[in-house]
Amino acid sequence: MLFQLQDVTKTYGSITALDSLSVTAPNGAIGLLGPNGSGKTTMIRTLLGLIPADRGSGEILGMDFRRQHLDIRAVVGFAPEDECLFPRVVGVEFVGYAGELVGMSHKDAFQRAHEVLDYVGLGEARYRAVETYSAGMKQRLKLAAAIVHDPQLLILDEPTNGMDPAGREELLELARDLAHNKGMSLLFSSHLLPDVEAVCEHVIVLGDGKLLTSGNIQQLKQIHTRCFEIRLKASDSKFADRLMALGCSAEARDDRILVHLPEGASPQIFWEVARDQQQQIRFLRPRSSTLEEVFLSAVEPQ
Amino acid sequence: MPIFDQGYQHWSGELAGHTWRWMVITRQGVRIGLKNRFVRILLLVAWVPALMLASVLCIWGLLERNSDLIAPFIGILRSLFGPQSVADPQLYRIDVWTICFHYFLQTETRFSLLLLLVIGPNLISKDLRFNALPLYFSRPVRRIDYCLGKLGIITTFPAMILILPCVIAYLFGLLFSLDITIVQDTFGLLLMSVLYGLVIAISAGMLMLALSSLSRNSRHVGLFWLAILMVGAIMATVLEGVDHQQRIHAYRSAAGNVQSRDAIATAEIEASRTDWRPLVSYTADLSRIGQQLLGANQSWEKLSQWLPPNERDVFLLKLVGPQFPWYWSAAVLLILFGLSACILKIQIKSLDRLK
Amino acid sequence: MHSEDSNQIARSVEVEPIVIFDEVSKWYGNVIGINKLSLRIPAGVTGLLGPNGAGKSTLLQLATGQLFPSQGKVRVLGREVWNNSALNRFIGLCPEQDAFYEWMTGWEFVHTCARLSGLRRSAARDATQHTLNAVGMAKHQNRSVRGYSKGMRQRTKLAQALVHDPQVLFLDEPLTGTDPVARRDLMNIIERLGSEGKSVVVSSHVLHEVESITPNIILLNHGRLVAEGHVRQIRDLIDKHPHHIVLICDDYRRLAAQLIVRDDVEGLAVLAKDKGLMVETHSPDAFYGSLPGLSLAEGLTIREVYSDDDNLEAVFKYLVNK
Repeated sequence: MLFQLQDVTKTYGSITALDSLSVTAPNGAIGLLGPNGSGKTTMIRTLLGLIPADRGSGEILGMDFRRQHLDIRAVVGFAPEDECLFPRVVGVEFVGYAGELVGMSHKDAFQRAHEVLDYVGLGEARYRAVETYSAGMKQRLKLAAAIVHDPQLLILDEPTNGMDPAGREELLELARDLAHNKGMSLLFSSHLLPDVEAVCEHVIVLGDGKLLTSGNIQQLKQIHTRCFEIRLKASDSKFADRLMALGCSAEARDDRILVHLPEGASPQIFWEVARDQQQQIRFLRPRSSTLEEVFLSAVEPQ
Repeated sequence: MPIFDQGYQHWSGELAGHTWRWMVITRQGVRIGLKNRFVRILLLVAWVPALMLASVLCIWGLLERNSDLIAPFIGILRSLFGPQSVADPQLYRIDVWTICFHYFLQTETRFSLLLLLVIGPNLISKDLRFNALPLYFSRPVRRIDYCLGKLGIITTFPAMILILPCVIAYLFGLLFSLDITIVQDTFGLLLMSVLYGLVIAISAGMLMLALSSLSRNSRHVGLFWLAILMVGAIMATVLEGVDHQQRIHAYRSAAGNVQSRDAIATAEIEASRTDWRPLVSYTADLSRIGQQLLGANQSWEKLSQWLPPNERDVFLLKLVGPQFPWYWSAAVLLILFGLSACILKIQIKSLDRLK
Repeated sequence: MHSEDSNQIARSVEVEPIVIFDEVSKWYGNVIGINKLSLRIPAGVTGLLGPNGAGKSTLLQLATGQLFPSQGKVRVLGREVWNNSALNRFIGLCPEQDAFYEWMTGWEFVHTCARLSGLRRSAARDATQHTLNAVGMAKHQNRSVRGYSKGMRQRTKLAQALVHDPQVLFLDEPLTGTDPVARRDLMNIIERLGSEGKSVVVSSHVLHEVESITPNIILLNHGRLVAEGHVRQIRDLIDKHPHHIVLICDDYRRLAAQLIVRDDVEGLAVLAKDKGLMVETHSPDAFYGSLPGLSLAEGLTIREVYSDDDNLEAVFKYLVNK
């Protein structure tokens, strides 16, 4: 178990940031989702022991976050969302300093800084002043500073902000590699649901300081085995009509057709109709809800 | 295995405890401060008074050994310190040394305040501007570690020009007098000088840190620092001047047109014992503490014994500083220290606030 | 004079593409921002993509009349856009930066922008309320902008771009910082504007957002136009990279044996975990055409068919990343 919160409440004056929040997270890569103002940032800060909760208890990596703040922060790496830099240093000094602040010796920190800078892909740029870095390089630098002390848990808050598509893909690849291949647990907070889906297996959705839903992404997405999405080369109502005549229910949606197969029928039906009508099926997949649909239905239950 | 994994490697090293965490911050800050060209120039220039101090101590040492080398200087020494001190240098050694160290520290105080102006404003205001605090506090760094670390940076630099040259000039003075009893006499002086240096470094440093934490704009902080020093000094001078004029006017009207310089001087010295006006100037407060620690006033009084009584006060008036009780200054410095500490505590907020 | 101009502009809408770049170049000293760009942007939603430094911001600034082209002409609604303040009535810009009058409330801010665009007082009031309702800021409209979250600021920015009902809209990263709820609402608004016949240019780094709004894109790199048009058409024209088509079938190895003997199959990868195959082919049309026969003839039920790289991310990668 990665962390566990029980009945945690935190208020700032009249605003309740966390409202009796109880959540358990397994080890692995976990996505943290929620509309603005749902308490994600407050929850992260509570886990790091940065803010005292009014009520409630919990532990992270086996340590009580009300009492063992400093120990927690020694094994957790955090890359905050806002732009933040140590002024007047070059890249490698930045990462080395970040490591020394956790308690590494100067030599260890320096050697390790170069290692992680290789890993995140900041080559010669590490010898330049950090103020000159582009948005993408700053994000990589933040990641490097967060993993320099080899934490057990890495918390990333909107790590791909401001990055162009190539950079975003590389950063997500790094996050995936750390979480799946290197045994580091990951807490990934983002508004970009496809990013979360690409990296995480488990997801936690917060809203108004409470837990709305949590679970394994694949399970939450509910793949419907008998419901299919089809896209043809040329949209044509004849295809849908024929399917309906054969006992399926078919409805057109944008440039795709949503089909429900009756019991006992197999997808071969589609190929038969396609052959008969000389149609090309260019897309055929079982329908599954996207993470966005899961999220929206959790946040706005209608 | 011939091919080695180039990807992410795990690290299993030791993490140090918290006691010396503040030193990491201090080391980093000192390294960055030294990169600044002005700082390096200032540090170099600040050794000039140290050279002068060492020279005077050496000359006095040679005087004690009745060396012929310093014959040309005897005239100057006699006019500075009085003829009987030149006649019996060993007796007046401690007093001359005290006065030299006193002047040296006064000069170096000005250099320190200038040095603080160059490196001080950036210390915390740049962290605020670049939003570095979340980076510090999301690691196992407490607020006290951060503040101590920054305090370490800002006391290191003045200490480099206040304390280190003191010690080295002292050693030079020892070498040139070749008299082991000198250590007995003057070791107390060295300790007091070092203590005075620390007081300046910590008090001024803390004040500058507090100012630096108030704004994201380093230039504003620098201007504010200058304002405190200069406005304080100007106000003190103005107040003293007004007070002085009032007193002169009072004498003239009381004693008619007959007044002697020495009567006035005596009265002036007497008045300055209860004069609170110099307290307004920060630099004056620092020097009052320095006077007290080093005992500069007593030394001057001793040196002025050769003069006839009626001329002593005139002589002293030119040389001794304000005479008010030292604990007033100490109180002012302590209040400023406490105020700075409070400001720092409020400004270095942990991340416990609604984003 | 202004209203006559406006009438002429309004009439010219139906005639030609709405935004035209005619061999436009723009340089700053030695640095080139846009290099001989020729573009015709029609009505509807168009995505503007490119890596950092590709010239997207320069393009938007040229199109809104903030920059004068070093070479060539930029025309919006048939008129040259530089120094043409009458045209601003028909153009809306939602910039990337946050530059608000922080002390104003949301309502005041949008109302001011409406008045600055030339709407009369009562029209401005109605338009302001209508737009704020549309972007979902009605319940926060009386709070000062200073207290707004990032998502609320984005919505307000979009509101000020829409309030004067422009014919052409330029949106620079309109969805950054918005949570999925706000994102869905704003994307709906953008789609609706496109279907109303307006020309909306959306510049963004987040490819899946652009993909869900529109299939028509403009791709820039190094200040030059790399591709323009419908994503799938562009994909079809990329010869260098064969199409990747994924087939999921229980008996995938037998299917592979059937496929490997065909000429149009240039590569075959086994996706054992998914029980499928990834086929590389340069003639997707013929390949798709043969699938029904394959599935039915050999009794190999092909349960899923999809293309791995028939999407914006793949197109971007192939055209931009070398």
